[in-house]
Amino acid sequence: MGIKKFIKKVQHTLGLNNYVIENKKKSLKDLLKKLNERKKIIKKSLKKPLDTKAEKELNEELDIVCLQMKKGKKMLHKLYTEKNKHKTQ
Amino acid sequence: MQIFNSYKSLFAPIIILLLLSALFLLGLYPDISMILGGIALFLIGMEYMEGGFKAFSGGTLEKVLQKSTNNTPKAITTGFLATALVQSSSLISIIVISFLSAELITLTSAVGVIFGSNIGTTATAWLVSVFGLKIKISVYAMPMIVIGIFIPLFLKSNSWKGIASIFIGLGIIFLGIGYMKEGFETLKEGIHLAQYAMAGYTGIFIYVLVGSIATVVIQSSSATMAIIITALATGQIDYANALALAIGANVGTTVTAVLGALKSNENGKRLAVAHFIFNITTGFIAIVFIYQLADLVDYLAVHVGIGIENYTMKLALFHTIFNIIGVLAVSPFINILVRYLDTLFIPQGVHRGKPKYLDDSMLTLPSTALSAIIMETKHLYENAFEIISHGLNLKQSNIKSSIPLDDVIKDSYSKNAVDIDAFYHHEIKGIYGEIIDFSTRAQSHIDTEDIEVLYSLKLANRDLVEAVKDTKHLQKNLLRYSQSTNTHIKKQYNHIRRDLAELLRTIHTVSITDEEDVILLLLSKAKVHTEKYDILANGTLDKLIRESLINNEMATSLMNDSAYAYAISKNLIAMAEIIFTERSTSATSINEEMAMDAEDVKEILEKKDD
Repeated sequence: MGIKKFIKKVQHTLGLNNYVIENKKKSLKDLLKKLNERKKIIKKSLKKPLDTKAEKELNEELDIVCLQMKKGKKMLHKLYTEKNKHKTQ
Repeated sequence: MQIFNSYKSLFAPIIILLLLSALFLLGLYPDISMILGGIALFLIGMEYMEGGFKAFSGGTLEKVLQKSTNNTPKAITTGFLATALVQSSSLISIIVISFLSAELITLTSAVGVIFGSNIGTTATAWLVSVFGLKIKISVYAMPMIVIGIFIPLFLKSNSWKGIASIFIGLGIIFLGIGYMKEGFETLKEGIHLAQYAMAGYTGIFIYVLVGSIATVVIQSSSATMAIIITALATGQIDYANALALAIGANVGTTVTAVLGALKSNENGKRLAVAHFIFNITTGFIAIVFIYQLADLVDYLAVHVGIGIENYTMKLALFHTIFNIIGVLAVSPFINILVRYLDTLFIPQGVHRGKPKYLDDSMLTLPSTALSAIIMETKHLYENAFEIISHGLNLKQSNIKSSIPLDDVIKDSYSKNAVDIDAFYHHEIKGIYGEIIDFSTRAQSHIDTEDIEVLYSLKLANRDLVEAVKDTKHLQKNLLRYSQSTNTHIKKQYNHIRRDLAELLRTIHTVSITDEEDVILLLLSKAKVHTEKYDILANGTLDKLIRESLINNEMATSLMNDSAYAYAISKNLIAMAEIIFTERSTSATSINEEMAMDAEDVKEILEKKDD
């Protein structure tokens, strides 16, 4: 048995694959939390009277944050599916 | 403890000298010849073990050392464990110096690791006294060597080759100890060295001196300890003198460290001074309190199950105890020591065009080599930032401030064009060449998974160089048209300057923040703006030509230059995405997947048009 195969087998037995996924999930959740905070701040700022330029900039930021959150949630969903797949194996 | 690279250059001559002496003495003094051969084998075995651990750990050792040295107690413990495990303080020292050069750890942590490593190095004495003298060498050493030789024939990976080297190394070490022991035993029949035993402080000083000289000559305190233990085991020296010899081995290793540091960089020299101060202090304490320490060893030996007559293990215990006492005595002053070390070996006039972080000693340490390349790329980025700013006739300080961008472009850097070519040759080309050369040489030691990271770093460097070259092309018309009497073309060129100033400010912010969400948002925004400001795509150029607001020459210049500006933006963003995002395994894939692609940018731009 090659050493890489051996390491993979040990990782699988000890459930270390899930550990990597868990780490990824944690980083992603932290990032999503921060993005959500930012989204709230932008929305709050948009409620105040602003000049057109500032409003445009904030709207652009909001669009980007929303898109990033959408991407992040999609990734998180994928990680959950991956984890379940590992569990059933 | 052996430290620094000079050992590597002295290794072969020492081995040759030992073997030649062994051959020369073979007829006249076969026992001494056997001892010398044993020492040579011991040193070769240590070298094999070090190489084996380097290949086997494949960067893990470096990662552990880097992550577990953030405070002094942790640094000392890590230094101790790592050295005890790999049986090579020189390997640990090389890694620590590399870390310091790449600014991965602080000098305080590095000194802590070196202190811990001094305790770790006493593990060799335990290995020799517990196993080396007990195991039947002929039974275990040879099969270990044979297994080590056969492994690479069937298992080709680096890790297996590393394991094979560890087997061979351990086998050769045991073989060396066996020869030394046999040599001393035969020697006893002719000359009985123990008759030269000396009591009192005269004896202590003489034997400390003998131990020191032996270590300076052999260049390894571990080998000296092995000789002392085997000589003690065969009754060739008495216990009290063996204690003094062990202190001598510790003192002698400082000479080796200082000699080695002469060739080392300033970090290596600072660590050698720390090592020197530590070992001299420890040696002094051990000499002054040698009788009390011997009593302490006797007391502890009874409690840990070492027989009162088991002098070899008691010597190993003594070696460990006085190094621990040394660490306890010196550690409270570590901050004062570091403050002093910081004043030493300050490089005179660092050349901006020379690499700051690349050191050949890192080449065989994959994770450190990668970190050094990242740091050097950041250095290249700083130089490129300056050139690009000046090429756009902007002041760096203004870009890095919060001054409104419209004011930033009004405050020109110079009335004359900056010579980007000269800047490029002085501050970019050399570093870029060294990074590529270093990366190529490091590649053979890097794991397959990290090759991709290395490749992306090379790309980041290329992106930076391309951005500088494009700035040179852009500069030609930029100065001319940004002061033109035609307000339309002037406005467009100042737009280019403003947009690039905005991008440089964004990248500067990204370079100094640790907030992942800020980095992600700023780089995404930069991508959207790059597409939005592209005057070829947004129709601005067409409008200017159609309405005859600029002439043909202006139109072609603007068309070419906006393409250069677009390329500069693209390259700088791509570079920033590589070098300013976290590159840990779990986070990297998140950053990579979260980064905006062309489709996402299109989606945002379409939303804005709605």
